Amino acid sequence: MKYQRLSILALSAAAFIGVWWISTYVYFNPKIVVPPNLVAETLWEITRNGELFEHVWASARRVVVGYVIGAVFGIGLGTIIGLYRIAEELLEPPLQFVRNITPVAIVPLAINLFGLDEGSKYAVIVYSTIIPIIFNTAGGVGGTPQIRIRAAMCLGAGQADIFFRIVVPSAWPFIVTGLRIALGFAFMGVVAAEMIAADEGVGFMIMQSRNMFLPAQMFAGIFLLGMIGVGTDRLIRFALDRLMSRYMMTLNSDVGVT
Amino acid sequence: MNLAKIGRISLSMLLVIGVWWASSGTIFSEMIVPKPWDVMKQFVDMIESKELFVHITASFRRISVGYVLGCTIGLVLGMVMGATRVTRDILTPPIEFFRNIPPVAMVPVVISFFGIGELGKYFLISYATTIVMILNTAAGVSATPRIRVRAAQCLGADQWSIFLRVVLPSAWPYILIGLRIALGFAFTGIVASEMLAAQEGIGFLIMQSTNILEPLDMFVGFVLLGGFGLLTDQTLRAVIGKLARRHMVAIGR
Amino acid sequence: MRNLKFDNVTMQFPRAEGGTVEVLRDITMEVEGGSFFTLLGPSGCGKSTLLNIAAGFEKPTQGSASLDAETIDRPGPDRTVIFQDVGNALFPWLNVWENVEFGLKMAKASAALRKERCDKYLELVGLSEDRGKFPFELSGGMKQRVQIARALANDPEILLMDEPFAALDAITKRYLQTEFRKIWKDTGKTILYITHDIFEALLLSTHLAVMSTGPNATIREIFKIDLQEPRLTSNRDFAAMHSTIEGIIDEEVQKSRAS
Repeated sequence: MKYQRLSILALSAAAFIGVWWISTYVYFNPKIVVPPNLVAETLWEITRNGELFEHVWASARRVVVGYVIGAVFGIGLGTIIGLYRIAEELLEPPLQFVRNITPVAIVPLAINLFGLDEGSKYAVIVYSTIIPIIFNTAGGVGGTPQIRIRAAMCLGAGQADIFFRIVVPSAWPFIVTGLRIALGFAFMGVVAAEMIAADEGVGFMIMQSRNMFLPAQMFAGIFLLGMIGVGTDRLIRFALDRLMSRYMMTLNSDVGVT
Repeated sequence: MNLAKIGRISLSMLLVIGVWWASSGTIFSEMIVPKPWDVMKQFVDMIESKELFVHITASFRRISVGYVLGCTIGLVLGMVMGATRVTRDILTPPIEFFRNIPPVAMVPVVISFFGIGELGKYFLISYATTIVMILNTAAGVSATPRIRVRAAQCLGADQWSIFLRVVLPSAWPYILIGLRIALGFAFTGIVASEMLAAQEGIGFLIMQSTNILEPLDMFVGFVLLGGFGLLTDQTLRAVIGKLARRHMVAIGR
Repeated sequence: MRNLKFDNVTMQFPRAEGGTVEVLRDITMEVEGGSFFTLLGPSGCGKSTLLNIAAGFEKPTQGSASLDAETIDRPGPDRTVIFQDVGNALFPWLNVWENVEFGLKMAKASAALRKERCDKYLELVGLSEDRGKFPFELSGGMKQRVQIARALANDPEILLMDEPFAALDAITKRYLQTEFRKIWKDTGKTILYITHDIFEALLLSTHLAVMSTGPNATIREIFKIDLQEPRLTSNRDFAAMHSTIEGIIDEEVQKSRAS
C-alpha cells in the first residue's frame, strides 16, 4: 500500500517537471521561464563552486539565530499572556494590531535601526517568528481545560506542579503548531530581508540573479528555497513525532493550515 | 463589545503609544522612530493632499482582485485535491513545494515575466492566496466524517448531492478559516510586490520613505497596514461568525 | 472519620446583565463520615455548585463548608472529585498507570508505595491489563474506572462524585454502579454523590437529600436509606421509596415549570 502511494507521489513530481519542461519550449520564452534541465545544471554548477553552500549557510545561520531568539521570547511572553489576565489585556490589543504588519514591511525599519549587516536580518526574523508563537502559546496556555487543573488540585498538586505538569503538556500541541507556522514566517522574513539589503543568502542570490539577467540561477534559487522548506518541515514533523508523540495526543486535527 | 472592554483596549493602546513616544528621541533617533504626534500630522496632511487616497486605492484594488481570484481558484482546486486519496497524492508534491516558497521569493520571477505592471501584482497575490485556500479546502473536504457520507448514502443521495449537501457543509468551517489566513497572505503579497516594483501603494510608501529619508511616511504606512489588516480581519471574522454559527459548532470552536 | 458539614451555605453568582442570581439558599446539612450521601434533584438545581463548594473550587457567598472544625477554602487531596467529563479530567499524555500514580507523585510517595497502591486499585477496577494504554484508547467506562482508581490511589477521606456514570451506556452504568458500591464498602470512604437518577440513588446510598429546584435551591428532605441488602428493584420497600421520592421530584419539576 505504501509503495503505491509513494509511486503516485513520485509520478506526480515527475509529471510536474515534465509539464514544466514542455511548457517552457512550447508556451513560454525559455529565457524567462527556464527549463528544468538548465536549472539542474545551474544548481550543479553553483554547488561545485561553493556558491550554493555560501548562500545557504548565510540564510540558515540567520534563520537559526532569529528563530531561536523569537521562539524563546515568544513562548515566554505567550505563557505570561496565557496565565495572567492583566498581561493579556495589556498586550493583546497592540499585538493584534501589529500582527497585521507583515514582516516584509518591517525590513526597511530594521535596516534603519540596525544597519545593513546581520543585526537587521536577525531583527526581521525575530519579528517574523515571535508573533505567531506568542499567539499560539497564549492560546494553548490560556486554553488549558479548567477541569484538568481542578482534577490535579484534588490530587494534591501545588502551583508549580500544575504549571509544569498540567498547563505545559496541555499547551504543548498549540506551541508546536505555533513553532511550525513561525518557521514558515522565518523563511519569509529572511528572504525578504536578503532581497532588499544583503550581499549573501538565498534571497540575495535570487534578487541578484534577476538584476544580472541570470534567469537560470534565479529559478535555481527558488527551487532551492522550496526544497529547503520542504526538507525542514518534514524534519521538524519527524522529530516532533518521535520525541513528543504522547503530548500531541490532545490535539486530533490540525485545523488552519498555513 | 461593551464599555468596559473598550475602556481596557483604549488603556492598553494609550500605554503603547506612551512607550512609543518615550522611546522616540531617546533610545531611537527621531529620524528612525518619529514621534506619534508627528506621524499623526503627516497622516492628516496626506489625507488632505489626496496622496493617501492614491496609495490606499492602489493597494486596495490589487488586493481585492488578487484575493477574489486566488480564493476562487484555490477553492476549486482544493475541492478537487481533497476529494479522493488519489487526487490528493497527485496534487501534493507541487502544492507542498510551492507552499514552502514565500511569495516574496516569487517577486523577481513575476517581474521578469509580467514586468512591473499591475498584472504581475494580481498574479502574485492570487498565487499566495490560492496556495493557502487549496490547503485548507482540501483539509476540510478530506476531513468529512465518513459516517455522514454513509448516512447520506443510506438516505438515497447520489454522488453530486453528497458533495453539495454533506461534503461542502462539513468543509465549510475549514474553508472559512482558510479565507482568513489567505487574507493575511494577500496582504503580505501586496506589500512585497509594492515594495519591489511599484509606483504607488502602501508597500511603495514604506519602501520609498527610506529612499527619500522621510521616516514619517514609513510609520504612516505601518499604521495603514495594521489598521486595514485589523479591520478586514475583524470584518471577515464577523461575517464568518454570522454565516457559519451552526457549522462551527460541528468542529467545536 | 470526619464529617462534612454545610452551615448556612448561600451561593450567588453575578449575572452577565448585572445583578445576581441566587443558586443555593441557606443550605445546612451534615454528611456523616463513612456514609454514601446522595444529592438528588432536577437539572439546574445547584447540586454541582454545592459539590464545588465542598471541593473548595468555589467559595460560598455566605456560610461555609467544613470538615469537622476545619473550614474548606481550597481544593485538596483529602477531598478528591470524580468528574463527569472524564475526557478532560484524565491527563491525555499520561497512560493509565501514570494517571493513577499522579496523586502519589504529588505527595512524593516512594516508588514502592506508588507501585503497591497502583497495582491494588487498578486490580480493584479491573484494569490491570491496560496499565500501558492511553486515555484515547479507552472506552468511556474504562476511562471512568481509571479516574476512580486514580482518586482512590491517593487515599482521600472523601470522594465527591458529580454524576460520574451519567454519560455511559446502560450496561456499563449498571456494572460500574455495582462495582463502585463494592469498592465503597471495601474502602469505607465518605461519598458525596450527585445524580438526577432516583433509581441510582436508591441503589447506592445510605442517605439521600432531595433538593428543590433552582434558583434559590434548598434541601427539601433528607432520607435515611436502610433498604435491605442486596438492593433489588423487585423489593417492595425499594419500590415504595422510589414512588415517594418520585412524587417529591415531580412536585419540584411542576413548580419550576409554573414559575
